[in-house]
Amino acid sequence: MNLITLKNKNAKEISALLNIKERNVLVEKFATLGLPHKMTEEYHYFDIVKLLDVEYKTLDYVPHTIEEADKVEIVDGVVTKAPKGMRVYSEPCESIDMDHFDGLYYLGHLLSPRAIKIEVDGDAHVEILHKYTQSDALINYRIVISNQENRHVTMYENFETGDIKNTLVLYGYDMHIAKDSTLRMVKLQTMSGNQYSMVASHKVNVAKNANVVLKNFDFGGDQALQVLKVELGEHAHVDAGHLLYLNDDSKRGTASQIIHRGEHSTSKQVAKNILDGEARGIFDALIRVEKTAKFTKAEQNAKSILLHEKAYMVSKPQLEIYIDELEASHGATTGQLDEKQLFYLQSRGISYIEARKILVIAFANTLIETVKDARHQERIKDAFEKVFYASNKG
Amino acid sequence: MSTVMKIDNLQAKIGDKEILKGLNLELEPGKVHAIMGPNGAGKSTLSKTIVGHYDVEVTGGDITYKGKSIVDMDAEERALEGIFLSFQHPVEIPGVNNAYFLRTALNAKLKHQGKEELNAAEFLRAMKKHLEMLGMKSDMISRSLNEGFSGGEKKRNEILQMLILEPEVIILDEIDSGLDIDALRQVSEGINKMKDGKRTFLVITHYSRILDYIEPDYIHVLKDGKVIKTAGPELVPYLEEHGYDGIKED
Repeated sequence: MNLITLKNKNAKEISALLNIKERNVLVEKFATLGLPHKMTEEYHYFDIVKLLDVEYKTLDYVPHTIEEADKVEIVDGVVTKAPKGMRVYSEPCESIDMDHFDGLYYLGHLLSPRAIKIEVDGDAHVEILHKYTQSDALINYRIVISNQENRHVTMYENFETGDIKNTLVLYGYDMHIAKDSTLRMVKLQTMSGNQYSMVASHKVNVAKNANVVLKNFDFGGDQALQVLKVELGEHAHVDAGHLLYLNDDSKRGTASQIIHRGEHSTSKQVAKNILDGEARGIFDALIRVEKTAKFTKAEQNAKSILLHEKAYMVSKPQLEIYIDELEASHGATTGQLDEKQLFYLQSRGISYIEARKILVIAFANTLIETVKDARHQERIKDAFEKVFYASNKG
Repeated sequence: MSTVMKIDNLQAKIGDKEILKGLNLELEPGKVHAIMGPNGAGKSTLSKTIVGHYDVEVTGGDITYKGKSIVDMDAEERALEGIFLSFQHPVEIPGVNNAYFLRTALNAKLKHQGKEELNAAEFLRAMKKHLEMLGMKSDMISRSLNEGFSGGEKKRNEILQMLILEPEVIILDEIDSGLDIDALRQVSEGINKMKDGKRTFLVITHYSRILDYIEPDYIHVLKDGKVIKTAGPELVPYLEEHGYDGIKED
């Protein structure tokens, strides 16, 4: 399949090309937004056409007998393992956002008529491992996550690959964070070279008094974009953190919309980006405060360090506000390592190269240390230092 | 007089501004040299020049340390050779664990000296006595380097580094600024502990208060980028009475 064939097609043509008999509303939504291209705002700084205009091998998504394990394992879009007692199953997604800004969100749903549903009961820690084993493939799947009221769930998301190359992964979550509950999602992604590219298009609904924490630690190669839409109800809160470390010619980042719908809702979005080589980082993030969201607090900040003259960061923090009764701030800084800090370390006998490494790791640690669980915090630190030291052997 | 450091006709500028204008100074091993002078005399520029700060461009003259010129050395090399500056305003470095930083600095020094590096447990044992003496809580070394530290805590942390790294020439730039009486006493105690007749101190100060705690052997008055007078500690009361304008150039 070559996804570029869907470019500029109407709903009827799309249905025919994708062999879709029903789901006309979704097809219409996708046809209206269209396949993203260079001028699509969220994809403007991301080489999406290069990823779409490829002949990919398509896979059959045959439900697998789910083995009992300590984590949820999804291999090439199919669940193979899950913890005992956890309800993990496959069925059509009934809660698709009909006002998403991302065309690939709808394409993902069209290509994945049955979503993986994960229902988390009670307070729980859940690990989700995504494995990709196929080269030159289009791997598409959608995951629906829901929790219970008054419960607190933490999810750790990790990625593994075999010896693959040139694969495109289209996946994403539809998350429903129940009233008075908390869901923490910590995503760690590391890879080298051009094993796979990814567009992860998410939708997160945060109900009244609920709290969602989304931490994305992206130390990957090649291309990936996280497309995120969060809607906040009354007294709901989102804490979104993004740490990016890129090298070579990789292009990765986040395009997001956080929408305050309920009164007293709060949002905090922090992006830290470390770019080396000829890498390009993207942080294109909008916080929108609707008329219904009086007394909102919104905070957005992006800090980027460029370690090479050819590295490039696109930081676009944006606020769109329709009320007066709120507190909001946003800002972005892009620069090099702090000379005063470098000198201080050198003045204690630490070499320039070591001092530089210490400061980069420190910059990353300020976000990594927001992960409360010590074991996972250590794991993320190790992953970061591994990729960073591999790129800075001097 | 034997010298550990000799500054000969030193000229230096920051940006386009010439600040040190032919400064001469000799530091005698094991002695405490106080540099006093009015604002803008070049005191902090002198300390920056000795440690190789990136702001300063040396335009003339020389600094020799143990008979070897250091003006072309990197800051890290000077530190490894035993020159230490206690900063007037130590920077905060969020995310760098203080203990990790201190151990990295100590191990860099040990490695430079061809000695075995310390592991975390050995290092923490070595730290304990210093922390107690400086009245520092043990959690200060598990926090980020200087982040959120009070003025007194930052200065104590500077002295802690001095105690650990055991340098030979110690420059204390306005070490008393921002310290209350108790903190000043503890910091001075740490400094006096290092006075073993071998280490040399260069105490840079506006005011004589610190010299009540750290007894100087020499007073050097710096004015308009030059040392205009060198005398013994008897100069301090004279300065208090007459100010810097009352000093006649040697």
